[in-house]
Amino acid sequence: MKEIRLEALLERFRKAFQKIREQVETLTKLDAATGDGDHGVTMVRIVDKAEAAMDAKGFTDFPALFKAMGMGAMSAGGGSAGPLMGQFFLGLAQGLPENPDAMDTAAVAKFFEAGHAGMFKFSKANVGDRTMMDALKPAVDALQASAAAGEDVETALQKAAAAATEGARATEQMLAKFGRARNLGDRVLGSADPGATSWSFLFQGLTDND
Amino acid sequence: MVMKKFINDPANLTAELLEGLVITNGDTVKLEQEKLVCRVEEKPQDKVAVVTLGGAGHEPALSGFVGKGMLDISVVGDIFAAPGPVEVLEALKKVDRPAGTLLVILNHAGDVLSGTMALEMAEAEGLKNIQSVNTHEDIAPGADAPVEDRRGLVGCIPLIKVAGAAAERGWSLDEVTRVANKFNDQMATLAVALRGATHPSNGMVISELGDDEMEIGMGQHGEAGTGRGKMLPCDETVEKMLLPLVEAVKAKSGDQVLLLVNGSGATTLMEMFIVARSAKKFLEGRGITLAVCKAGEYLTVQETAGFQLLLAKVDDEILDLWNDPCKTPTWCW
Repeated sequence: MKEIRLEALLERFRKAFQKIREQVETLTKLDAATGDGDHGVTMVRIVDKAEAAMDAKGFTDFPALFKAMGMGAMSAGGGSAGPLMGQFFLGLAQGLPENPDAMDTAAVAKFFEAGHAGMFKFSKANVGDRTMMDALKPAVDALQASAAAGEDVETALQKAAAAATEGARATEQMLAKFGRARNLGDRVLGSADPGATSWSFLFQGLTDND
Repeated sequence: MVMKKFINDPANLTAELLEGLVITNGDTVKLEQEKLVCRVEEKPQDKVAVVTLGGAGHEPALSGFVGKGMLDISVVGDIFAAPGPVEVLEALKKVDRPAGTLLVILNHAGDVLSGTMALEMAEAEGLKNIQSVNTHEDIAPGADAPVEDRRGLVGCIPLIKVAGAAAERGWSLDEVTRVANKFNDQMATLAVALRGATHPSNGMVISELGDDEMEIGMGQHGEAGTGRGKMLPCDETVEKMLLPLVEAVKAKSGDQVLLLVNGSGATTLMEMFIVARSAKKFLEGRGITLAVCKAGEYLTVQETAGFQLLLAKVDDEILDLWNDPCKTPTWCW
């Protein structure tokens, strides 16, 4: 697949959101080990709000759609995951393709990089800090590498999902620099960061695998 | 395991406690848009508004300080979780006025995130004249530690009292912010805990301490502090805490200070009075005048046994503002 329509890509967001709902127990267990156990439920609330915005706004006015998704995610409550994901959606609006009917891999990479930039503006976390960034950043990097290599969109999304999954797994060996997990010191080792794991599920959902 | 708390469905904790706050203080506060605790009698538009945000579960903080002379709106999150930026933005829109708004943010990751995002969204929507103060007076990581590592503890409340009084007098936004910053720069807090609490939403133990242990420097969600040690008598405990506090605010003989003994939830008033006595003895022994001393529960952490000791160096301007009248569910004079 050389190109994808923005609408089709957004339909895959629904699949990604569904993946979060299916994995809620996994996320809850991870967060119970290092946090207060509410990350799974929080993520479901976030994706429910974002999807509700998609349903309400339709795909006619993309900037308004992403703003509504962002504001929805930000009002999901339950700590910083919602506000940060909200900024990701607001960021996506800054990277909209010139031609929404034909996004090549470069356009897809630019789109996700804009989302990452939106989140990074407020999250001070870098890769290695045991946060959502540990999955999101490698995924975006993988998309950009695929774009540079001229790979097709599906390959790029597959590689992004693999990079996010690997990034989330790598957090098992990281100490937390942010959030409540920071106070647990090395007691977090051996357990993956719930936020990074959520992003790995989202990117897995964006591929055409079932 | 059954949680030994007088609650119903844990999912409704925040909504039910806010309902109760309004039932018991309906002459002073009302609830709007589910999460905004507002004044019943609104402040005139020509005076600066004072707004803050924070998680629930710390009652009476922060919503128990909404009212004349203190806060205009407290934006409430879930239990121990910051409200979202959208709710904070709603509050800023609600109080938007030519006189301006001061947003008080306690230095906790979620609060700072929501506050910062809300400020940026407010600017994008054309709201003007908003300034913010970030409180970070915890000296557990060291008084010289980077600001981002120092948490905002009970000190936000006297800061809001002082800034709120200035706003009520009709001072400009710059002046209200100046006095808030002045107080902010001259205060320091240390916490001590004997026994942790359980998270009221899920029953998880927030922190565990041995039967004969205490921990100095614990955060208000049971975050680990810096000094875990054996229990000490009150005089010695207070001395151990006041030594770094006095140094942090650079109080010396002849200075005036304000001291708050803030019970964390399961510390008796008997103990708090004994703490206050120990503190007075210590400070006066150094020639420091205890101009204001209050003991009570202002910012709690469920049934944590322990207290936060806040010390602020004050001058006549601050004391004058402190003594101005206020009428909130918690402080009223």
